[in-house]
Amino acid sequence: MNAVAIESLSKQYPGGKQALSHIDITLKQGEVFGFLGPNGAGKTTTVKILNGILTPSEGSCRVLGTDPVKNPEKVHALSGVVTEHAQMYDNLTGLQNLVFYGSVFGLTASESERRANTLLEELELTEAKDRKLAAYSTGMRQRLSLARALIHQPKVLFLDEPTSGLDPESAQNVNHLIRRLAEEAGITVFLCTHQLRYAQEICTRYGLIDRGKLLASGSLEELRAETSSRIAVKIRASRIPELLPCRKIGEQEFEIEIQSEKEIPRIVRQIVEDGGDIYQVNPRQPSLEDIYFTLTSKQKEAEE
Amino acid sequence: MKEAMRAIIKKDLKGITANKRLFSTLLIVPLVLTIVMPTIFILVIHFVPEETDDFQQLLKMLPMAKQTGDFSLTVIGLILNYILPVFFLMIPIMTASIMAASSFVGEKEKHTLETLLYCPLTLKQIFRSKVFASFLLSMIVSFFSFFTMLIVLEAEILFFTGNLVLPDVNWLVIMLLISPAISLIAITLIVRGSAKAQSVEESQQGAVFLILPIILLVVGQFTGILLISFWILLGLGIVCALLAWLLLKKSMGRFTYEMLLR
Repeated sequence: MNAVAIESLSKQYPGGKQALSHIDITLKQGEVFGFLGPNGAGKTTTVKILNGILTPSEGSCRVLGTDPVKNPEKVHALSGVVTEHAQMYDNLTGLQNLVFYGSVFGLTASESERRANTLLEELELTEAKDRKLAAYSTGMRQRLSLARALIHQPKVLFLDEPTSGLDPESAQNVNHLIRRLAEEAGITVFLCTHQLRYAQEICTRYGLIDRGKLLASGSLEELRAETSSRIAVKIRASRIPELLPCRKIGEQEFEIEIQSEKEIPRIVRQIVEDGGDIYQVNPRQPSLEDIYFTLTSKQKEAEE
Repeated sequence: MKEAMRAIIKKDLKGITANKRLFSTLLIVPLVLTIVMPTIFILVIHFVPEETDDFQQLLKMLPMAKQTGDFSLTVIGLILNYILPVFFLMIPIMTASIMAASSFVGEKEKHTLETLLYCPLTLKQIFRSKVFASFLLSMIVSFFSFFTMLIVLEAEILFFTGNLVLPDVNWLVIMLLISPAISLIAITLIVRGSAKAQSVEESQQGAVFLILPIILLVVGQFTGILLISFWILLGLGIVCALLAWLLLKKSMGRFTYEMLLR
């Protein structure tokens, strides 16, 4: 059974704004799926539809075989959600908040408290657990939200910008936690973000969305193949034969664009045969960011 | 009832009782209505010369069965059994309206509503939890006021007249049937309004708009009904209870998450 299955999903808001148009995505269990796109692309709308908070205008979706339109509460029992607007009670402490949400998800008081303490420890909030939420910083709130989403040990985790507002160190910790959850507990993660660098660190597959349209989806390799992005090879050498189509980017530094890594030995041989000394050869695969920009600019061209 | 619903009710009640200032106001106003005011009455009756024409006129209009030989005891009985019950229609509604009006929209303003909607309860169950939380608070305040009133007034009556004037059987119907039913109706309507409102202010204004007619219309007529017959009172109570049950069952039928968060 797929963890998440989205078929030709569209959403038009009452005002007439088309937030999603005909999206198809499938997630296997245990996958960490990066749903990437700029603000207003339709990421949050997708998460809300998958949790039954919004009703789709067209198409269908399922979370672990359950239709969120028909049985939202059953989906909620299986999923944990972190979004910007899903906050907690300022007049309660961090621990009280978690215990409350634990019991709302059907845990007994002692069970909630035990789970809460474990999660607080993992997210480095133990010291602040008896402080009222009103005194929490944005980053602490964000981490507590993640703890709240995990309190009932969900099978699918929907995270909407979980690392926004976190300092680099906390963001790193949260990322490690997410990856560990997927690897060890087999939790499927649906991660919405516009921080492409963080996404590349933890996701196994990606979907790129812009203005409600899914531009591409697949693993990094698949996306690279799809966008036919070239590999940029940075070479530091004393000289480079003139017949090589390279760009000088600094003192004794050159960049050559190639189709595949197989071309590298030939280039190196040519330089050496020409009498050049090589200090460094550095091929750089197109990053998620490169792919993302290639795709969005393609989309813009197509629209024009 | 599900554990989850109980958790929401407990959390909502705690939210009110933790706010000491608000909670003490909730307790003090009913006590003023049910203790201070009748005490003043009792003192007036005790110290004012007996044969005031106005009072005699009033007593003459009462059915014979309600009159006892003693002037003071008759008037005190009148206050205890015909005027004070009216307060117990107002008190629970007043108390609950504070909590009910902010039930949904209060969570919305604090950005906690969405989080609550992600819990594994249906909208109806969340709605009921909200209604029961307000209802429980209103009943706690109402019964607390009732027993405090009874103890204080009986002590005063005994002190001034040497006799006890016991509450009559109407009280039983009022406290156990009519008062809970009417407050449940009001709460259901107010919570429903709160789910639609955009701000706490809007919801509270709506609630006042709803409560005023109830107080003016129902409460105004109530003393009359008390005088007529116990059975009419009981019938009325049953009708109110049925109405409350129906309202609670039918409310939120067409509500969606999307409407709540809008």
